[in-house]
This record gives sequence, C-alpha cells and structure tokens, in this order.
Amino acid sequence: MTGEDVIILLPLVIVAAAAVAAMLAIAVRRSHAATAGIALTGLAAALAEVLVNLWLKKGYVGHLAVMDNQALFVIGLVLAANLVVGILSYGYLSRRRERAEEYYVLLLLAALGGMVLAISIHFATFFLGLEVLSVSLYGLVAYERGRLGVEASLKYLVLGGTASAFVFFGMGLVYFDRGSMIFFWVDWLYGQYGPGPLGLVAMVGCVMMFVGIGFKLAVVPFHLWTADVYQGAPAPVTALVATVSKGAVLALVLRMARGSPWAGYYFGDRAVYYSGGVCPSAPVFWILAAIAVASMFTGNLLALRQRNVKRLLAYSSISHLGYLLVAVLVSGAAGATAAGFYLVTYFAATLAAFGVVTALSGANGEAESLEDYRGLAWRRPALAALMTVAMLSLAGIPLTAGFVGKFYLLTAGAGAGLWALVIILVANSGIGLFYYLRVVWAMFERRATEEKELPRIGVATGVVLAGLGAAVVLIGVWPGPLAELVRAWMGGGW
Amino acid sequence: MLELLWLVPLAPLGGFLILAVARARLGRRAVATVGVGSAGVALAAAGAVAAGFFALPAAGRVYEQNLGTWISAGDLAARFVLHLDALALVMMAVVTLVGFLILLYSAESMAGDEGYARFFCYMNLFVASMLVLVLAGDLLLLYLGWEGVGLCSYLLIGFWYREPANARAAKKAFIVTRVGDAALLVGLLVLFTQMGTSDIGGLLARAAERWPTGSSVATLAALLLLAGAVGKSAQLPLQVWLPDAMAGPTPVSALIHAATMVTAGVYLLSRMHGLFALAPAAATVTAVIGAATLLLAGTSALVQRDLKRVLAYSTMSQVGYMFVALGVGAWGAAIFHFVTHAVFKSLLFLAAGAVIAALGEEHDLFKMGGLRQRLPLVFWTFLAGAASLAALPLVTAGFYSKEEILAAAWAGPAGGRWLWAAGAVGAAVTALYTGRMVFLVFFGTAKREPSQQPGWAMATVLVILAALSVSGWWLDPRWLLGGTEIAATLPVRLAGTAAALAGIVLAWYFYLRRPALAARVAQSRAGAALGRWWIGGWGFDWLYNFIFVRPYVWLTQLGRDELLDGPFRTLGRTLDLAHAGMSWTVTGRVRWYAAALAAGAIAAIAVAVWR
Amino acid sequence: MDTQTAEKTTELWPLAVYAGLVAATVLAIVTISYLLGERHRERATGLPYESGIVPTGTARRPLPVNFYLVAALFVIFDVEAVFLLVWAGAFRQAGWAGYVEIVVFAGVMGAGLFYLWRVGALKVIGGRGEHESGDTDEQ
Repeated sequence: MTGEDVIILLPLVIVAAAAVAAMLAIAVRRSHAATAGIALTGLAAALAEVLVNLWLKKGYVGHLAVMDNQALFVIGLVLAANLVVGILSYGYLSRRRERAEEYYVLLLLAALGGMVLAISIHFATFFLGLEVLSVSLYGLVAYERGRLGVEASLKYLVLGGTASAFVFFGMGLVYFDRGSMIFFWVDWLYGQYGPGPLGLVAMVGCVMMFVGIGFKLAVVPFHLWTADVYQGAPAPVTALVATVSKGAVLALVLRMARGSPWAGYYFGDRAVYYSGGVCPSAPVFWILAAIAVASMFTGNLLALRQRNVKRLLAYSSISHLGYLLVAVLVSGAAGATAAGFYLVTYFAATLAAFGVVTALSGANGEAESLEDYRGLAWRRPALAALMTVAMLSLAGIPLTAGFVGKFYLLTAGAGAGLWALVIILVANSGIGLFYYLRVVWAMFERRATEEKELPRIGVATGVVLAGLGAAVVLIGVWPGPLAELVRAWMGGGW
Repeated sequence: MLELLWLVPLAPLGGFLILAVARARLGRRAVATVGVGSAGVALAAAGAVAAGFFALPAAGRVYEQNLGTWISAGDLAARFVLHLDALALVMMAVVTLVGFLILLYSAESMAGDEGYARFFCYMNLFVASMLVLVLAGDLLLLYLGWEGVGLCSYLLIGFWYREPANARAAKKAFIVTRVGDAALLVGLLVLFTQMGTSDIGGLLARAAERWPTGSSVATLAALLLLAGAVGKSAQLPLQVWLPDAMAGPTPVSALIHAATMVTAGVYLLSRMHGLFALAPAAATVTAVIGAATLLLAGTSALVQRDLKRVLAYSTMSQVGYMFVALGVGAWGAAIFHFVTHAVFKSLLFLAAGAVIAALGEEHDLFKMGGLRQRLPLVFWTFLAGAASLAALPLVTAGFYSKEEILAAAWAGPAGGRWLWAAGAVGAAVTALYTGRMVFLVFFGTAKREPSQQPGWAMATVLVILAALSVSGWWLDPRWLLGGTEIAATLPVRLAGTAAALAGIVLAWYFYLRRPALAARVAQSRAGAALGRWWIGGWGFDWLYNFIFVRPYVWLTQLGRDELLDGPFRTLGRTLDLAHAGMSWTVTGRVRWYAAALAAGAIAAIAVAVWR
Repeated sequence: MDTQTAEKTTELWPLAVYAGLVAATVLAIVTISYLLGERHRERATGLPYESGIVPTGTARRPLPVNFYLVAALFVIFDVEAVFLLVWAGAFRQAGWAGYVEIVVFAGVMGAGLFYLWRVGALKVIGGRGEHESGDTDEQ
C-alpha cells in the first residue's frame, strides 16, 4: 500500500480513524455529546473528502479496489445517509437511558463496510466489506437490548452468517473455475482463450453468491428476516439497514453485473479489456428477473394490511429492491444511471420516513403502530407533512422524488425491451399506493382518544428532517441537475 | 441589465414563499411591504430589463436566459428558459405595472380583511405564474405558468370561501377552464411529438419549414391551442365562468381581467401566431368566436344589474375584439388592445371597487346614483376609464386600439366585412352599456351616502391608471412588435367611430334624458324576454346544465350502484386474499426463515444447472 | 442426451466427487468409531474417573458471562497475532511501508485493548468495571 493508495482511500481512512478515535474517547471518558461529535465530524470530513477526491485522485488500489466515479457516488451516498442517521440517533439516544457511546463506533464501522463494498472489485474486499457492515449491524440492531431487539439481532446474525457462508462458497467455486477473484475479466489471465461463457461450476458459484447478496438486499425468497429485524431494531438503525446496507450491496451488484464500467484502460502497466462482469449469463438473468418479480409482488402484498409502520416499511423496501433489480437487469450505463437515481430517491424518502419514526419515538417505546400516527397532522403538522411527502415519494406520486426515480426505471426498462417487468412494476406501484396512503390517511384523521405526550425535536434533527423533505420535493419538481449528476457519475469512467 | 430578467418572475415568487411560510408571524404592515414590495421589485427589474432590451441592436432584439434544465428524458429536454422578445417585453411590462398598481391598491382596500396575508400570498403567486407564462421560452414552462394562473384564479375567486356561492364560483371557473387546459395540453403534446422539441422558437421555425399552409396537423394543433385560449380568455363556448368569477375581491377581478388570467389566451395565440398563419381555417374560427363573443357579451352587459357583472361581460366582449384581431392576423392590434384594455379595465374595476366599498358592499346599479359630487375622484377616474372603454374618439387610448381592430377586420380575408359589422355593432353596444353604467352610478339622484373616500394609495393608483387611459395613442406597442400596416379607408374608420359615438348618445338619451323610456322598453313584453335571456348570458348556463351537468350527474348516479365499483372491489378483494395467503410465510421462526433461504438457493441453483 | 448436457455433466463431476467425499468421510468417521469403540455399560462407565472422586452435582453450572467474554477476546487477539507472524516472514520485502502498516495495525489493536480494559471487559470476576460504575454515578 503506497502513499498514493492512502490518498485514494482517504475517505475510508478518515472514517476508520474516527472509529478508533471514538473508541479511545469512550475509554478515556464517557460523553454522549463528545462521541457523537467525533463520529459526525469524521463522517462529515469524509464526505468533504469525497468531493475533493472527485477532482483530485481516482484510481486503482492494487487488485482489490477501485475509486472511480461510481464508487465516489456510492460512498457519498453512504456517508450522507450515515450522517443523517447519526444526527437522528443523537436525539433518539438522548431520550433513552441506554449507554449511547459505543453506538457511534458501530455506526462508523457500518459506514466503513458500506464504503469498502462500494470500491470493491475483488472477492476479498467484497467479503471484507460485507462482514464489516454486517457485524456492526448485528451490534446496532441489538443496541437497545430489549427482548425484540435481541431477538431481531440473533435472527439477523444466524441468517446473515448462513448467507455469508453462501457468498464464501460461491466465491470459492467461481475462483475454482476462473482462477481469478476479480469481478471482471483480465486479459493476462484469459489471454489464451478469453473469458468465454461461464462454466457450470462458476455459474453455480455466481448463483450462490447471489443468495448471500439477495439476503442482504432482502429480496424474495431471502427476505423473511426483514420485517422482524426492522421492527426489533431501534428506529435509526432500521433506517441504516434500509438504506446503507442495501444501497452499498446493490452498488456492488451493479459492478459485478457490468464489470468495470468502461472499456480499455490500464491496470497497473497491463492492458485490460472489458467484456462484461463476472455473472452475465442467461440463467442468472432469468433468476434475477424472477426474484425481481417475486419481490415486487411479495413486498407489496405483505405490506397491504400491515398496521405496524416499521414492518410496513420493511415490506415496502422488499418491493423497492425488486424495482431496483429491474435496473440491474438493464445492462449498460442506462441501467446503472436509473439504479443510481432510484437509490438517491429511495434513500431520501426512506430516511425521511424513518426520521419521522425516530423523532416520534420517545423514552417509552417506538412510535411504530399506525395508532401512534393517528391524527398526527393536527398535532405535529410539520412532521406529518414530512411523512406524507415520504410516503407519496415511496408510492411514486408525481412532484416527489419517487415518481422521477420510477420514471427513470421505467424508461430504462422500456429502453431495454423488458416490457413484462415494466408492466409488473407499474401494476405493483398501484398496489403499493394503498398502504402508503393508509399511513397518510391515518395521520389526517381526527383523533378522539387521549393523547400521548410527543417528544421534543432538537434543532439538528429538525434541520435534517427539513432538508430531507426539501430534497424529496426538489428532486421531484426539478430532477434535471440530479439526473445529470447521476448520469455523469454512474455512467462510468473516472 | 438584461441579466436581471430572472428576477422578474422570481421576485413575486419569493414574496409568495415568504408570505406562505411566515404568514402567521408577520404583521399587516410587513405583509403589505412584502406583498407589494415584491411586485415593485419585479416592476423595477422589468424596467431595467427593458432598458437593456432597447440597448440591443434593433435588428435582432431577442434575449434568452437559461436557468437550468428542468426535465431531460429522451427527446424531451425542457429547460427553465426565459425568452424575451418584443411581445414578451410588452406583456411583461403590462403585467408588472398593472399588477403592482393593483397590489398597491389592495394594500389599502383589503386592509380590513382577516385573510390579508393569504390574499397577498395568492396574488403574488398569481403575478409570478403569469410572468412565468409570459416569459417562458419553453412550452412546458409556459404550461407551468398557465396552470399556476389557473390554480391562483381558483384560490382567489374562492377567497371568501366560507360563502358556499363563492366556493361554487371558484369551482366553476376551475372546471370550465380545465376543459380548455386539457385541450391545450393535447395541443402541446401534438406539437412536441411532431416537432421533437419543446422550445417555442425552434418549434415555430420547424413548423414553418415542415408544414405547408393549411396542413391538417397544423390546423389540429392550432385548434387545440385555440381551445385552451378560449377557456382561459372566457370566449365562446367556455365563457360561462367569468361572470361568476366576480365572487372574489375586487382587486382579484381587476387582476384576472386586466393583467393575468383572461389575457393569457390572447398572449398564447399571439405567441403562436406563426402557427395560425399556417392554419387559416383555425384563424377564421378564432375570428368568428371573437365576433360572436363580443356581441353576446355586449348585449348581456346591457341588462346586468350588478356593477361588477357589467364589467365582467365587458371584458369578455373586449377580449372578443382581441380574438377578432388575432383571427384576421393582426396580432399587433390585438396586443395594442390588450395593453389599453389592461389599463382601462383595471381602472374601471378598481374604481368600481371603491364605489362598492363606499356604499357598503352594494353591487346593484339601480341602488346607486348621484355619486358625482360625493366621490369626485372616483367619478373622474371612472369616467376616464369608461370613455376609453366606450372608445371616445381622439382622446382615449381605447379608441385607437379598437379602431385598429375594426380596420384590420375590414381589410382582413374573406368575410372580413361581416367581422367588421359585428365589431361596429359591438362598439355601439359597448358605448351604450358603458354610458348606462356611468349615468346610473354617478348621475341622477343619490340613493345612498358613501361611507368612505379612497385613501392615498387607492387614489394614486386610480389617478395613474386614469392618466394612462386618456393618454391617447402612444400606448401602441406595434412599432416594437413589427407587423404590417393596416390599410383601411377613411370612411371605414369614420363609420366605426360613428358607431361608438352613437352608442354614447343613445346611452345619454336613455339613461339621463329619458329614464322612463328605458324602463318602458325594459318592461315591454319583448324587452323583458330579451332582458331575461341576456341577463343570464344568453342562457348558456342553463344549456350547459342541461347538456353536460345533468347527464354527468345521471351517469355518476348510475355508477354509484357498484356498476364500475365491481371490478375494483374484486381486485381489492383478490389482493386482500393474496395478502392473507402471503402473510403466513412470515412466522417469526428462524428455522423456517433459514429453510426458505435454503430452498430459494436450491431452486436458483437448479435453474442455473438445468436451464 | 445432447452434447451440451454431456458437457454439463462432465463439468459437474468434480462437484459430485466432492460431495461424495464429504459424505464418505462423515460416514467413515461414524462407522469406524462405531466399529472400534468399546461398548459396555457397567456401574461406573459413565463416571469420569473410576478411581477418583465421585463428582457431585452437574457440570453445567452458569459461569459469569465475563468468562466467555474474556475467552472470546483472547481468541480475537490471538488470531490477530497471525498477521504479525506473516509480516515477520516478509519483513524485508515489506520494507518501511509494511512496517508503517503493521504499526498502525498494532496501534489499533492496542487502542482496542485499552478500550476493553477501561470498560472493564477484562475483569473476569466482579461483574461491572470501575470505569463503568463511575460513569453510572455521573448520570
């Protein structure tokens, strides 16, 4: 690892250093504010560094990782989401008796895992990122140490371990067949006979890797853990599971599906050519398509009569990942761009929704039942408005970010001729409308029963929530700049 | 200076945002400062922009300001682009000036209203929308402004929403214009799909290249745009909403009639006049609609008892003149009339508002009278506006613009003589109802004592507008717009003038000299029938109620009994069942979850192996 | 059976052999221990020490959770030492860059140890650590 590599990886280094610093700070003296300050400063500094890196330094880190536009984009997304979650968590944890400090160490490690996934082009970094992310999430999910939290964490741990085993085995099989652990073909490995079609062993390996990936993405049939974990985890951690964990893994899938996103570059001093990712074969396509369709239907149908908002959002996320898989199936820049745009809109709306859940969750339990939201519009109009915007965006109503995101997904799908998937996507948006609007409807109902005291909202939380709401609306009204940005960054290249 | 163009629509928009967010926290003075000030900033910016515009070389006076990309998808690349040419400059100047004056007036006239901040909030959005519409260089942006104008008209007509009748009027305006809006949207989409661009300039250039004169697509697109314009401008057959729109506060009426809503259609047709040149049939339809509307509205105005309804019908009739001009290709004359009309109609409304307020919300003409001495300022300013409306020769601005339209109609293509005749009769009718209005309100015996005089803000606005109304021909913007000179012989012009004069004399005779005669005519069998027919705007409300509303209500009644609900209910029930069938999979047991994971993995591997 | 399926089968055979080997190994272990193991059931067969002290009570006693914690920590730190050994083998090749890296690595490990000590995780007996109890007073 040279000095240049350190500069390329500076965002990761900053976050890792912040994690160590936060841990040492806890060891010296426990202070919620100080630890949170270190963590948030670290995340913000890394985010700033990403922007600097855009112009300063991109490139490969050995065979293991690459810092290109796509990686920087995803890292920025991961860091921003972590920052939002961190700020939301501060108010949330302040209202609880739990010791809050270690939470931020785990939060930073989760960010680190997500970032490693974003830059990964090699099985080693892939697995490293996956595990760093997963292990920190196991801890975060159980952070409340309530019955539900521990149960959720244990379920997540057992099933996540199983999934990791699948990934590991799959990697072994692909390596057995290919003799390389890099996601895309390298001509000095295949110089003699080229990559050729996947052998059977490699194919099975790919499918097994996708089992593990599918678990992290929570797509059917690897989705069953989702609702329990969403419900058991503290609300801000749920937001993290819903966004960072899934977004980073999806970015990895995009990279694996497309290989390195541009053709003809130099890898060290050797010429490398690009000819598709590691798993671009017909059966994998059909498996993914089936998973996408099943996820859309299953997620939406399960959410239909759900009365627990956290579980509802869990099921809704299953369907959203189903939508996103459509973009994965659209090969090339169009698919990556659509997926990148959709990720941004999904992140913003999901964070906004869980932000409201977090802000309403007081010292005595989470605000997760639909009952907790009944009549919210008359008591906390701003929060209700934000939740409404988030729900409408998730449902894909025009003038919200979600609509534009879906629009790009549909355009990409139609452009690639995936008509069946496109039609199913549209039909599912219709089904989804029902339960999103149910939340909105509940909030605007007049409430007759006695009223629980709602927690106060801090300035930082308020600013973050307002920013999220503004982002959702702004992207919905004026998507042009973001679309150009995503096209430039997810489309490939340096 | 031209760079300030963005400030023109954004200043009122900013005022709207400030008022929308901080409505409850601002005092009345602050509200008025923001509400009027933002329009003032827009006016100042417009002035600066105009100065910059005239500094451009006279040959290619066009300025475009791109504020970013709005939507970019495939062929569609809609931009936030502001396009300033002579037409947009004239419109912008009128909208900002008249809008500012009306807002200044309302700062005083609305002072006692509890919805003071809400009023300025909506009014600012109204002005901003209209400026976006006027300055848009892109069809989609134009449509945004168009819909914004529609929305604000709804909000402001129903401003006093506690009264059900006002809410109904707002709804009526919204729904009726919606019909036109839908047609407009289809027209825009036709243009976009045919031309592959939503940029107005590029689109018109391509249309002129690709479509021969009289081509059916061009005619279709032009007719669809016309339908949109007809809805917004309250022309036949979508004119029914305008008289009811009087339910809003008087400044709102002034704004709707003079500067924003109603003239949006005229602007649209002027902006797209290149398209109408390719579709002579559509142009003819435009002219005929204008002529029919101006007669219908003029006669209806003759018999109204409500002061504001007279003015409303008069607007319809005057916009009819503009449509005639647009139909015969004299869009410069139409814009000229738009400018003069904006001035004198806003003046008439504001003065009428002062009268109504002074008499304690009295609208009935026949309960007014003799206000000449009691409200002298209002009388003289109203008289100036009325003279301009009645086209009193030589001194008033309205005279010159109306003469141009009549001359253009005479010189126009086949059938122009008929249009001219309709316009001349309309001119006489206009003068007649204008005279009736003036004589009934300000002359005769006083029936009520006015309770208040207009304050300095209202007075200033009235005087400025009155001065402009009688300032003669120099409001003519055609030297800027370009276009052909209208050649009409002197006798034709004289005949038109004579018609207007005859109307004034007739009004004097009927309503001042021999009021009893007027009453007798009105009470005669034929007169009463005609009056009943005309007072409801030729019975269109009744007709539409019969043709559209009743069958629609009947249809919905039919659908109430689950005729259409059936399939939807079945769908809902199916989904519900699917949900029930699905939810047993989430058991909460880890071993079951792991089993599902393993089963899924096995299935996927099986597919991969035995594809 | 067309050629493609035949190819697939050819490609599949290592997998099949592997699976077969796994099954055979497991079977062999169980079978051999069954065959070789003595089977008799006398009075003291189940006792750990036929000649020693007769155990009393069950061995399944709850141990303080810290015991497991320390055990887990030991394993973690022990495994991390592997990296040091690997690095030592490549000391010269890794050069200064490698040295810096290993120092950072050791530093992070040290920081972790420091944290564990302060939090009281290293106290096998005595439950909660001093630092922690001091902290609860503050709250």
